[in-house]
Amino acid sequence: MTQTHLPLRAHELTKHYGSRTILRRVSLQIEAGETIALQGGNGAGKTTLLRCLAAITRPTRGAVWWFGHPAYGDPKVRRYVGMVGHESRLYPHLTLGENLTFAGRMHGIDRPIRRAERLLAEIGLAEHGHRLPTQISRGMVQRVAVARALVHHPPILLLDEPFSGLDVEGRAWLMGTLARLRDMGCAICFSSHDETVAEILADRVCELRCGRLYELGGERRDDARREDQRVLARVA
Amino acid sequence: MTRVAKISACWREWPERRESLRRMAGFWWIVHKDLVSEFRSRRVWPAMLLLGIVVALLFSIQMNLLPEQKRQILGGLLWLSVFFAGTSLFDRSFALEREDGCQGALQLLPVGPGTVFLAKLTVNALALLALEGLLIPLFFILSDLSLGAHAGPLLLIAVLASPAPAAVGTLVSGLAVGQGRGGLLVLVVLPLAVPVLLAAAECTRLALESRLDEVWWRWLQLLGAFAVIFVAAGVLLFEYVIED
Repeated sequence: MTQTHLPLRAHELTKHYGSRTILRRVSLQIEAGETIALQGGNGAGKTTLLRCLAAITRPTRGAVWWFGHPAYGDPKVRRYVGMVGHESRLYPHLTLGENLTFAGRMHGIDRPIRRAERLLAEIGLAEHGHRLPTQISRGMVQRVAVARALVHHPPILLLDEPFSGLDVEGRAWLMGTLARLRDMGCAICFSSHDETVAEILADRVCELRCGRLYELGGERRDDARREDQRVLARVA
Repeated sequence: MTRVAKISACWREWPERRESLRRMAGFWWIVHKDLVSEFRSRRVWPAMLLLGIVVALLFSIQMNLLPEQKRQILGGLLWLSVFFAGTSLFDRSFALEREDGCQGALQLLPVGPGTVFLAKLTVNALALLALEGLLIPLFFILSDLSLGAHAGPLLLIAVLASPAPAAVGTLVSGLAVGQGRGGLLVLVVLPLAVPVLLAAAECTRLALESRLDEVWWRWLQLLGAFAVIFVAAGVLLFEYVIED
């Protein structure tokens, strides 16, 4: 596969917030049908990296391409990406159905109302379409947030801590959904503290430490942790 | 050009046309979403209208002047009331987007920042027009002046005076929300809006004195120029304002 046909390619992303460096020359490629899990402690920069990959946050240096198109260029290319963030990103005064329809209309899909109804049925909330996001549980909101990200069939899916706040049933549903999307060729990158989820779903596990991204296998991850402890001991 | 050539040229241009139609649809759906949200939450418009009425009542009750004197100062008071009440509107125009990270969702949509800005600006300008639609008759009733004779010019002034403050307010509101500094709004909007307020007040004064001459026309042109400049500047700068 040539680099132009890679769903997502990030090259040497660096992000500073004032004097703080969050990301240091992070490069990442995701192929179609590949799932990457991002790990790292609190404040490691997982959210910043995902926001850079989604072109919500502009990196200080470096670039992101979706299918060879610069992510920060023409807004049209945003149709390639769906993202589920920390927050639900659902408008509190629009019903669940209206939230999904709005996203569908903005992405220019055909028959957005029907698509919204179908998605609500898929996530098991068909009879809750008229409710507001504040009137349903956190787990249900998370399901709708995932549905919203999928409303335009994006070939790239980015998820920031998607399993937080989900009960066992919700986690199983989301894992099944992500596995199905991966099998359909969707490039997925998600952050999670849960190593079990990462092991089950991800083809590759990457860890952000001190702003740098390390790709880890089982043994390499242990080595990296030992290295971390050595650095911490030296600093202390 | 033959009919076939015309049709084939139209067909070739179709993707671009479809794209511009989609942009317009995106603009409309953001406006629709904001109006529906405001209609349901009633968080901004009622407070703004109430503040406008209170300021208008205060100004009018204190005004114990002859009709001639009233005509001279009514424009200034009217536009000052609109500005004060409008500030509360601008302050909260992006508050909705902050809830549950909705601003991030907006940035993920395949519409440019210019479209988002214009949609937000349109909603704010509509709110300002609604405020003006309430305050102008109220001021005339409380001042015991006849509105009927000046309705046309005043409508024109209201339409031209609304986009510029709405553009400044939308831009600064986006900036204030992004930086988490709501208090910044009045400090920045006030100096920027002064030329528009001045032009609107002067236009109104001349209209009330039935002096729709060349001088009035120049003030009106100035209002139009401010509208174009502020809106264009907003479209160009908005991308940097909402950027993380």
